[in-house]
Amino acid sequence: MSAVARSVAVTALVTVLGSGAFWWGTDGFTAFTAETARRVDILRAPRPLPAAVLEDQDGRVFNLDDYRGRLLAVEVIYTRCTTICNSLGMAFRQIRDRVPAEALGRDVALLSISFDPERDDPASLKAYGIAHGADGEHWRLARVRDAAQLRALLEAFGVVVIADRFGGFEHNAAIHLVGRDGRLVEISDLDAPLQFAAKLVETL
Amino acid sequence: MTAIAPDRARIGFCALGALYLLLAAPPVRSWLEATMSGHMLVQIPLLAAIGFAACRLLGARHQERLLAIAGGPIPLVVMAFFASSWWMLPRALDDALAHPLVEVAKFVSLPTLVGLPLALAWRRLGIIGRGFVWTNFISMLAVLGWLYIAAPQRLCNSYLVDQQASAGWLMVKLALLLFAAWLGHLFVAGPPVGNPRAVHGP
Amino acid sequence: MATYTYEHTPDHGAKAGVLAYLATSAAVLLLMMVFGLLMRLEQAQWISIGADRFYELMTLHGAGMVGIAAIAGASVMWHFLRQYVDLSSRIFIANLVLFLAGVVMILGSVLIGHFHGAWTFLFPLPGKSMGMWSPGAAALFMGGLLVIGVGFLLLHLDIARAIVARYGNFARALGWPQLFGHDDGKAPPPTVVASAMVTVVNVIGLVVGASILTMMLVNLYVPGFDIDPLLAKGMIYFFGHIFINATIYMAVIAVYEILPRYTQRPWKSNKVFLASWTASTLMVMFIFPHHLLMDFAFPKWMLVMGHIIGYLNTVPILVVTGYGALMIVYRSGIRWDMASKLLFLSLFGWAAGAMPAFIDGTITVNYVMHNTLWVPGHFHTYLLLGMVAMVFGFMYYLGKPDHEADDRLIDRIAFWLFTASVLGFTLSFLYSGKESVARRYAAHLPEWVPYDRIGAVFAMLVIASSLLFVGRFFSRIGLARHDYQRAPVARPATA
Ligand code: HEM
Ligand SMILES: [Cu+2]
Repeated sequence: MSAVARSVAVTALVTVLGSGAFWWGTDGFTAFTAETARRVDILRAPRPLPAAVLEDQDGRVFNLDDYRGRLLAVEVIYTRCTTICNSLGMAFRQIRDRVPAEALGRDVALLSISFDPERDDPASLKAYGIAHGADGEHWRLARVRDAAQLRALLEAFGVVVIADRFGGFEHNAAIHLVGRDGRLVEISDLDAPLQFAAKLVETL
Repeated sequence: MTAIAPDRARIGFCALGALYLLLAAPPVRSWLEATMSGHMLVQIPLLAAIGFAACRLLGARHQERLLAIAGGPIPLVVMAFFASSWWMLPRALDDALAHPLVEVAKFVSLPTLVGLPLALAWRRLGIIGRGFVWTNFISMLAVLGWLYIAAPQRLCNSYLVDQQASAGWLMVKLALLLFAAWLGHLFVAGPPVGNPRAVHGP
Repeated sequence: MATYTYEHTPDHGAKAGVLAYLATSAAVLLLMMVFGLLMRLEQAQWISIGADRFYELMTLHGAGMVGIAAIAGASVMWHFLRQYVDLSSRIFIANLVLFLAGVVMILGSVLIGHFHGAWTFLFPLPGKSMGMWSPGAAALFMGGLLVIGVGFLLLHLDIARAIVARYGNFARALGWPQLFGHDDGKAPPPTVVASAMVTVVNVIGLVVGASILTMMLVNLYVPGFDIDPLLAKGMIYFFGHIFINATIYMAVIAVYEILPRYTQRPWKSNKVFLASWTASTLMVMFIFPHHLLMDFAFPKWMLVMGHIIGYLNTVPILVVTGYGALMIVYRSGIRWDMASKLLFLSLFGWAAGAMPAFIDGTITVNYVMHNTLWVPGHFHTYLLLGMVAMVFGFMYYLGKPDHEADDRLIDRIAFWLFTASVLGFTLSFLYSGKESVARRYAAHLPEWVPYDRIGAVFAMLVIASSLLFVGRFFSRIGLARHDYQRAPVARPATA
């Protein structure tokens, strides 16, 4: 066997053995470590949410805790956003439309929370709500005026917000489900609203 | 790179053996393994280094023979790559702490499957091969450091999150340091090379 | 003071590898220009392809142009550097093969996977497509970039090896003994100095680029591993900036090598020359923050540093090269032909392209201008009229039938057409930028559209003249391989 052929053969062998070992040792390249990232973690162990005082699109002040006993879908937005927040709004509408009418409001509610309380006054919130078909009752839009509370809430939801260069924000987006006990039970991708709705209806 | 006098080699082997046993001694072992940085950035590299140094003591003839059996430097580098990556898995670290058998595997595999193959291959790698290994290693070290810093939760059951982050930062810093050193060596390496013929041309 | 002599020797023909590089670049260049035209036509509202298509074209155009600029620059550098150090043809070819493999991956990602996150793959865009492309497509794109990066890393390592073998180390290759000590006239030739500089900065850039690409690949599949977007942006721009700057530093070697042959005056590696290259080596590595001027989140000192260096970075090499070229040409009796004209033009284009960058570098302007067409105006000037003109000049030089050969009339017309239409094209960008027209796909008010249309017409003329240049190169590619004297001997004016 020539030196080159030998080198190629041994390299191939080592590669196959090495990859095989990794495959075996990581359960098929899935469990290196904290593969069980935040989402999986929350699925297993729901997380309590911090208390927060909110103000909705009509200027009504309420507590996050007021939703205890109902299932609450939460999205985190800012109303001037021209991209992801619109998708979130659309996803939310799809979810809302799939919840049986009799459950809506009684057992299920939706809440859009703004992370830009400075500019998202009730009027802007209302405009965003109207644009996406929120009714302002079963699907409310609200801001958290207290900076510390907002920070704690974002932290709990795992939402990261960064100011971009156009006066807007970059932020990650997901649809969050808060259980009847007021704990965060699931975080799901915003591009799968139907699955989310289906699961929601299932738990009714 | 010339043959090493037999008695020098014997002394060398003894020194390496002593270091190896020292690392394996329970107090030292638990001391190094108490922190993630000690485990990943001191114990593991030292074990690999022992293999590297031991290989150098083998004498040129043995090294050439092993190199020929393995089929040249490339398979050896690949082997070292896989074996060293394995012990960078948080899972593997945990296992090593929890199961004595895995710990033994770690102590055996790092010198023989990482240090030794690298030492064999190194002689045959020119500036290009070494540069390739170095640059890849450095960027992987930096990326790994970032993985440890950015991990959303505890990676290892045996270590706390802040240890994980500090190990990550150490890796990033080490990567920067190694990179600077590697670049720096390009600026100082090499004896003055007179003025050899131009390859062709004027 | 050092003395330098100039000997007239026949030129070495290009190796097949160099021609393969040039042929690849030329073909891709034309195709990407057509893509650019399509984008401009969309902005001019003459065609309507929609945002998705636009961004797909822009992603291909950006990645393709940056890629072939690097490939073409590398061919210039390799061709001339080979005269001084012993380079490996195999690695040179391996780089091209890896490049083409990467191109196939990128094409697949964009055309089949509909990835359109721009060549700068700004985090978190690739992973946040909102369903427009799959993680697989994004991974393929980034994988393609990684493969291309590996090729260039190998090429630069080979150059590093060859330079170290000949000069001992990089300090000597950059002429530091002569720069910081007594100039004994034995500093390495400009080609070696430039190649050493490019190698150092590109290796740094590539390692950083590979790191961020790997991080983003991990993040793509395991989003739990968060990347700080500012860090990602910093790293991406650091890599991108170095890589694109390096293309022109490689291509300028054609000026250093070819112009002296026309005037029989050597290009000297004197202290000023060496100082400028060393200074730019250091500055290129620190320039990236100027892209981030608007990210308040960056530490203040970085912004200030980026601001100052943003002003200074290109200046040393540009000034020294421009001045050097003038000195070489001044009263030399140089006989202008396509090659020498294009090379001379390229220095003008490079300088002209740097000008808007200065203006852009002023922080107050930066807020307004950075996301307008001002920016493409700036980089298209120095890339088209600088970088691409250098490569065209090199192509004409290699294909020149003999040193007395005259250019055809149509080539001469194409030269002026190219010059004028590139200026027209880039000025239309710059003017729109001044009027605050947003770059990329954006709503264009009716009063802006005329400028977009003028720009589109000029783009067509740029393509027409480039087509002729490239056609001429391909028709003469057989000549390019042979050794003979190509430059006409200067006729100094009799005093
Ligand atoms: C006929 C020639 C060309 C035309 C018509 C053209 C046209 C365009 C257009 C319309 C854009 C989008 C600008 C925007 O709205 O942001 C663009 C972007 C760009 N072009 Fe060109 N271009 C040409 C040549 C070149 C050359 C020669 C290069 C480099 C060597 C180049 C590199 C780029 C890059 C890097 C971008 C940025 C893409 C991005 O923003 O991600 N172009 N070009
Ligand atoms: Cu948004």
